[in-house]
Amino acid sequence: MAKLTVEIVTPEKRILSVQADEAIVPGGRGLFGVRPGHTPFLSLMEPGALTLIESGRRESYFVAGGFVEVGNDKVLVLADAAEPVTGIDVEGARRRMAEAQERMKGMSSEDARFELEQATVRREAARIGAASSARA
Amino acid sequence: MASLRDIRKRIRSVKNTRQITKAMKMVSAAKLRKAQDGILAARPYATMLDQIIADLAARAGDESLSHPLLMARPVKRVELVLLTSDRGLAGGFNSNVIRRANRFLYENTNLESIRLSTVGRKGNDFFRNRGQNIRKDFGGLYQRLNYRAAADVAEELVASYLNGEVDAVHIVYNEFVSAISQTVKVAQLLPLQTLGTPDQAPTAGSTSLVDFKYEPDRQSVLDRLVPQAVNIKLYRALLESVASEHGARMSAMENATSNATDMIGSLTLTYNRTRQAVITKELMEIVSGAEALK
Repeated sequence: MAKLTVEIVTPEKRILSVQADEAIVPGGRGLFGVRPGHTPFLSLMEPGALTLIESGRRESYFVAGGFVEVGNDKVLVLADAAEPVTGIDVEGARRRMAEAQERMKGMSSEDARFELEQATVRREAARIGAASSARA
Repeated sequence: MASLRDIRKRIRSVKNTRQITKAMKMVSAAKLRKAQDGILAARPYATMLDQIIADLAARAGDESLSHPLLMARPVKRVELVLLTSDRGLAGGFNSNVIRRANRFLYENTNLESIRLSTVGRKGNDFFRNRGQNIRKDFGGLYQRLNYRAAADVAEELVASYLNGEVDAVHIVYNEFVSAISQTVKVAQLLPLQTLGTPDQAPTAGSTSLVDFKYEPDRQSVLDRLVPQAVNIKLYRALLESVASEHGARMSAMENATSNATDMIGSLTLTYNRTRQAVITKELMEIVSGAEALK
């Protein structure tokens, strides 16, 4: 059976380039799975866990939002940041989330930085979620 | 003529200087290698992003793609961002950027206003000392140069473009050509000009242009792609600037080291000549002294 070529790149470096049977991606409208022969499309990506399945083995990566392009059995993941879930620093993520929440307390929702902080909270929450799903 | 002791002192001091320039050269060489790796590592993402945008533009065909950051408007107010380094001793690295920026100010006097902002201490010092108003100094960027930090700067610039404070944003920086060669470049950051080249054939998913799907829809994807492209453009300019800085410093220190070596050579020659002259003189004195006793 044909295989998918999955590439995860971030602005700072290429994280990974592998073959896989299936990829499960946190899309803009929930998780979606990609298998070889998938119709070509371009999607936004939300912070969350991206799972690759290769001969029955699952491997998960945390991705911090970005884009996914699917076509010709290729999955290009352009993430703002990415890391293997096994390497997630949960304590650090908790701390960053708490700090962002702390900063948000004094802000009104119109504040220019409000959205940014909100994005941080969402991202760190997704990171923690990705880490715990890997352990479960 | 300088005394032997003076020359010896000079030689020692030049040797110390050479030691320092040599060490700085080596440090710069190591940092340059790291910076070059950074440029290479950033390349795949940038190429893919460009490709995706180009594909999107190609597939759109006649339907126009609109995004505020792509739309040029009459340019009255401009912001110029200088990318210099925090440290000196890098040859013409900083002065080239400053000179280019000055030329830009001089050539564009027909504009209503040009605002300056700076990344790096050197450019900031120069214009502040001359009483130029600097809107913002993005200081400390080099201590933690990563994508996020660059994106923060880019987002700030985008915001002032969108709310109409400025009609265009240009950056002046050193483009990295090679370890020994850098060229100063003025690039337009906003409005974004490069929306891919439409003649380029789309790669991924090129087989079925009609069926191509966007999730959630094309405009939303474009709305995220365009600012991202701006961020990346600035991030890459910063990486190039950092690599150029180390390259420039490396060649400057290389020159300084070889100049010091030349200087030590000529000082040593003078030293030996003087020493010889002193010996000759002493000999003459002894001989003439002995002659007088006869």
